[in-house]
Amino acid sequence: MSAISRRPAEWLQLLVGGTVVAAMFYPAVWMVLSSFKSNREIFKHPFGLPDQWRWGNFAEAWDKGGLGGLYVNSILVTATAVTLTVCLATAAAFAFSRLEFPGRRWLYRLLLIGLLLPPPVVAIPLFAILRDMGLLNTLWALILAGSAWSLSLTIFILHGYFNAIRPDMEEAALLEGATIWQVFRDISVPMVWPSMLTLAIVNTISIWNELMFALLFVVDDDKRTLPVGLIRFFGRYSTDYAMVFAALTLTTVPILALYFLLQRHVIAGLSATAMD
Amino acid sequence: MANRPQPIATGARNLLFVAPAFVLFGLFVLLPLVSSVYYAFTSWSGFGAAEWVGFANFRRAVADPVHLAAYLHVTLYILGTLVLEVSFGLVMAVVLNSDRLGFSLMRGMFFSPMVLSMTAAGVLWAFVLDYRLGLLNSVLRGLGLADWALPWLSQSSTALVAIMFVSGWRFAGFYMIIFFAALRRIPRTIFEAATLDGAGPVKQFLTITLPLLRQQILTCVLLAITGGFAGFDLFFTMTNGGPFNATEVPATWIIRQGFDNNQLGYATAMTVILAVVVLAVSVIYLRLTERGDDVRY
Repeated sequence: MSAISRRPAEWLQLLVGGTVVAAMFYPAVWMVLSSFKSNREIFKHPFGLPDQWRWGNFAEAWDKGGLGGLYVNSILVTATAVTLTVCLATAAAFAFSRLEFPGRRWLYRLLLIGLLLPPPVVAIPLFAILRDMGLLNTLWALILAGSAWSLSLTIFILHGYFNAIRPDMEEAALLEGATIWQVFRDISVPMVWPSMLTLAIVNTISIWNELMFALLFVVDDDKRTLPVGLIRFFGRYSTDYAMVFAALTLTTVPILALYFLLQRHVIAGLSATAMD
Repeated sequence: MANRPQPIATGARNLLFVAPAFVLFGLFVLLPLVSSVYYAFTSWSGFGAAEWVGFANFRRAVADPVHLAAYLHVTLYILGTLVLEVSFGLVMAVVLNSDRLGFSLMRGMFFSPMVLSMTAAGVLWAFVLDYRLGLLNSVLRGLGLADWALPWLSQSSTALVAIMFVSGWRFAGFYMIIFFAALRRIPRTIFEAATLDGAGPVKQFLTITLPLLRQQILTCVLLAITGGFAGFDLFFTMTNGGPFNATEVPATWIIRQGFDNNQLGYATAMTVILAVVVLAVSVIYLRLTERGDDVRY
């Protein structure tokens, strides 16, 4: 009976869902189509396909915005910070779950502070600290600050994953005479490896998109990351619509493509941050 | 979450596993946090010694009309996100909950704004909302509603609402996925039984879905509140507090006072206020909500 009686309701579901999703996705399509047009055409024919596909827009935006340099900086910062975060967090989560040591509870609670507080709260003193360390206006400022602010959540989630697995294998290895370091490296890390990858994706998205630290801690144009570079570009060429659309397309479409490729992992990772 | 198993080893040497993480965390999270409490009581321009001024910064903060307005704006913004992000995400989780062909793709598309930077989202939407050639006004003019075409971001009465909608566009997918995952864990037989008893989809939503998703809804509301107070990127990109401070929120005002006006002491006092407000609201919220009984299935 259900196949027949549910049909109209399912059509309605498809219609409503499809309309909303299409409406929300349309700005992205509009952005890509507009990036092929000339300014005059964007104004006269905001909808529809470009009358001539101006691939040259992209080369021009790439050069004018120095997008190559921005991409390199963003990749350097993100890759280093994510590797650092996931490695340190895995070791810490392992210790919090598997080991006993003085101050364990106290340190864990201290760590949870980072879950509740927003980064703007420390932006100013952090600026002074980085300056005193001579790190201001270097990519290290973004790497270290970004990584430090990602640790709480990463440790918190990995801790949960560790706790969900019985430590039988690890105990057995210790009895066989392995050191704790060997147990960690050869048994525990392979065990949570998939979760480490998921958290690497989550942190990649947040550090790649990070704006405030990048805005405050780096001054030189050649050390900027993509989000700040895009704002500068927007400020400089705000009336050259075709250029801004081309720059936007060049910075967002690769990320969107990567997302649709890794969709399952990205969604699993980002929603894990709220589930536990 | 599973409880912690019995420890496999004890001893102070195990601290070595947490030490590297805590060096980083201590230097760049805890130390600035502690020193911000000190700087809040000083007048400090960022260079040279800070001079102790007692509560002067705090007295100034509670009398600063823009600062107070920023809290009004951020409260309105959070209320807006509860509708446009959390509630909308919940409704869309129900709408997109199907195994039929195409629904997985639609969920993926609905979620996709989440991976874009707020900067990219902000710049894109600045163009969608542009008065002269923005997508929105073009649609309105095309429909013969030229009077409805407004300078959305550059007039005080609509700028904040416009930002709320962009925020909804960006984050609704996040909440949708959380609710969707929870919906999938509700046994289908419950809905089938309700259908047999003659309950329509709206009644099923109100009497089955909502109570069973209580825990997720509470979590999402907390995330929306704490995330809302921290809101900076979208405001900075789209309006930077303008026009005439109409979209000023605590984070944008703090950054402007601190870095554009070199009043780091005053700005730090406002960050301390922000931290206290966020923590207080979170604690009150958790106290109020944990009393209700847990619905299980």
